[in-house]
This record gives sequence, C-alpha cells and structure tokens, in this order.
Amino acid sequence: MIRPILWVHGDCLDPQGPHFKNHPQAPALWVWDERLLAEWQLSLKRLVFIYECLVELPVVIRRGGVVAEVLTFATEHQADGIVTTASPSPLFRQYVKVLEQSLPVTILSVEPFVDYDGHIDLARFSRYWRVAQAYAFKGDLNDSK
Amino acid sequence: MSKDMRRDFTDRADLIRYVGEQFPEAAARDGRVSPIRGGRRAAEVQLNRLETHRYATTRNFLNGSVSRLSPYIRYGVLNLAQVRDWVLARATPHQCEKFVNELGWRDYWQRLYLKLGQGIWEDREPYKTGYSPQHYQDTLPEDIQSGTTGLVCMDVFSQELKIQGYLHNHARMWLAAYLVHWRHLRWQTGAKWFLEHLIDGDPASNNLSWQWVASTFGAKPYFFNRENLERYTAGLYCRRCPLYGHCAFEGSYDDLAHNLFPRNESPTAQPGRKPKAKRR
Repeated sequence: MIRPILWVHGDCLDPQGPHFKNHPQAPALWVWDERLLAEWQLSLKRLVFIYECLVELPVVIRRGGVVAEVLTFATEHQADGIVTTASPSPLFRQYVKVLEQSLPVTILSVEPFVDYDGHIDLARFSRYWRVAQAYAFKGDLNDSK
Repeated sequence: MSKDMRRDFTDRADLIRYVGEQFPEAAARDGRVSPIRGGRRAAEVQLNRLETHRYATTRNFLNGSVSRLSPYIRYGVLNLAQVRDWVLARATPHQCEKFVNELGWRDYWQRLYLKLGQGIWEDREPYKTGYSPQHYQDTLPEDIQSGTTGLVCMDVFSQELKIQGYLHNHARMWLAAYLVHWRHLRWQTGAKWFLEHLIDGDPASNNLSWQWVASTFGAKPYFFNRENLERYTAGLYCRRCPLYGHCAFEGSYDDLAHNLFPRNESPTAQPGRKPKAKRR
C-alpha cells in the first residue's frame, strides 16, 4: 500500500494511535455513522465529547454511511488502500468486509494490555485474570511483594 | 462530494452550538452537555490527577478517589497499556495492583465483545431471580426518566446521568439493581438508557455489567440495602430523603431477598456484594 487513506473510528481517537504514527502524511477521515446515530440515539453530551476528541486529530469530519463515505474519500485521494485500527465491534467487522471488496484494508492494533496470544477462559473475570494478571503487570507484580 | 464538517471553533460554546445544529434530533431530545471535556489534552489532565494509592481504598465511596478516565479509555483517546505504563512508572506494582485489576475488567469486556458480538444484548444465562425473562417490562418508567420517584438517591442518580453523562460505578450498580429488581425492568432497556447518556458508554462494559446485576451473567442477582447505600454515600441522600427509615431499600438482606425474589426457594441472591468495579 503506497497511498492509503486512514479510516478513524470511535475505538481509537488517540492522536498517537498506530494509524497516525505509521502514516503521518495519509489523509484521514471520520464518519458520523447515520446508522449508529439512528440506532443508538446518542445524546448531545456524547456527540459533543466525541467532537472535542475529533478536533484534536488531523481528520476530515463527514456524516453519512460509513462504507460509502470511506470509499468516496479514498477515490478523492486516489488511494490504493485503507488503514484503520482494530475494534471489537461486530459492525466494524461488517464494514471491513464490505470495504475489502473495493480496496485492501490494513487493520493495525494498539499496544495490547495483555500481551498473550494463548487461550484465555472468559467465562468469568476471575478465570481471565488468573492468566492475564502476570501479563498485565509485565511479570512485575510478584517481584514487588 | 460529501460536505466536510467544521473543525475550527472560537471556543467550546461555539462547538456546542454547531454540534447542536448538525444533530438537531439529539439536541431536541436533550440540549444539555456534560462538563467532561473530550480530547487527548483533557485526558492527560485527568491522568495526572490519578491517585492510585487512594483509589485502592476509597474507590467504592461516592466521594472516593476514582480516576474518571473511562470516557477517554472508551474512545481510545488513551489505551489501557498507556494508562497501565503510566501508573507503573509512578508506583510499585503492588501499590497499583487494584487499579490495574480494574483496567483488566475493561480488557475482559472487550475480549468478550469480540467473542459475543451482538450477543451482548442477549441474556447470557437464565435469570437467577425466580422470574422468567418475560416477567420484566420493556418500558423505562416515567418517574425514572424524570427523576421523580421520591427516592432522593435514585432521583439524583437519574439527573446526574442525564446532566453529567457520568455516574460513579457504585451509583450505576444501585440504579441498575433498583430498576431490574425493584421495578422489574428488562436489563436491556436500562442498558440502552445508560448508553444514550453515559459519556463512557461502551456496549460491552455496560451491557455485561447490567447482566451481572440482573443475574444473567453471574451466579446471583446483585442488590443492596439502605445501609449499604448510606454508608458508601456518607448519608448524602438518605439524610434529606423523606422516605428515610421506610424506603424500598430498608431491611436486612434476608428480608429484601425474600421480598424481591419470593419465587426463589433457596437464598441465591448476592446481597451487598459489589462486583469488581467495571468502570472508573
């Protein structure tokens, strides 16, 4: 990918996020998702908070359908791909799947809190934490006691 | 070509006015905005106020030292690793053990979200309240919306939710428990109400915490009594409540369990136990 655009979404509004760090010159877009706005009925409080986050980022702000807006933005910039950051949202995965039909999508990850790729039982927090704790503390917790 | 929205504003009032104009439906529902500011700069100010040693011992009290970082973590303005590294650079791992554990809750909810997707809106397990899902009503009661139940604590929490877009974690739990176990509201309706207003509203943290309270993601329902609420609020609401001494939360946990869950043959409720705080 030589000339990507960045798709910035609501799970990574960090000006030091990996997408901005790795592609400091790439045009970046935020889309107010009409679908989510209708579904979630977000209050003005939440919209203002997000907007305040956005104006600190080097992003173009638009409103509409996410896939259509991202592809339009990509065309405007003659992009050869889309870079974004990971999100656990099922809607994010849906959007990526559709975008990939038009352009390659690279999904970057933020630094993990628990840097462990093995299986973790998520049935209860206690089971998760039994495994995750050592990684969360980078192995330091027991050393300090 | 789509129209670019404004990025430059003279001040916060200018930005708020513009957002209100661009999202008239939201402004018409409720034109109030939170004093909590968005953005990385505001996040770093909040991070610098963090007192991890006091957090461990006071966080369950409404006037305790909580981080108020959740809105910034919610939107990835700060990520968990950054916050963890920040505290570990300033305290020993043992001193910030509790705080890092709470960050772990956020990571846990996100991992579950990745696994469950829209399933976070469905009961993960059967209710342990003695009631079926059909027992619970779908509509948020009007007196909750308007903050006119007469219970000072719940009315204040309702107002704070709508005005500040933020509630202390313990207040979220009390309000959720009141709605589900005293008012028999479906947890999904309460969760949606919270998500509309909470600045840090995250579907996974929010919904699975509501499920924990309801008992559809946990072994027992969470409930509380007046004594518990009075203790952790330092009597702030009880002192001025006209229902003091005879409110719906009055009584021992055994009495309340009997009244709230009469169909339960065994005392399965989990009184007064607080889950690991899922929001800071």
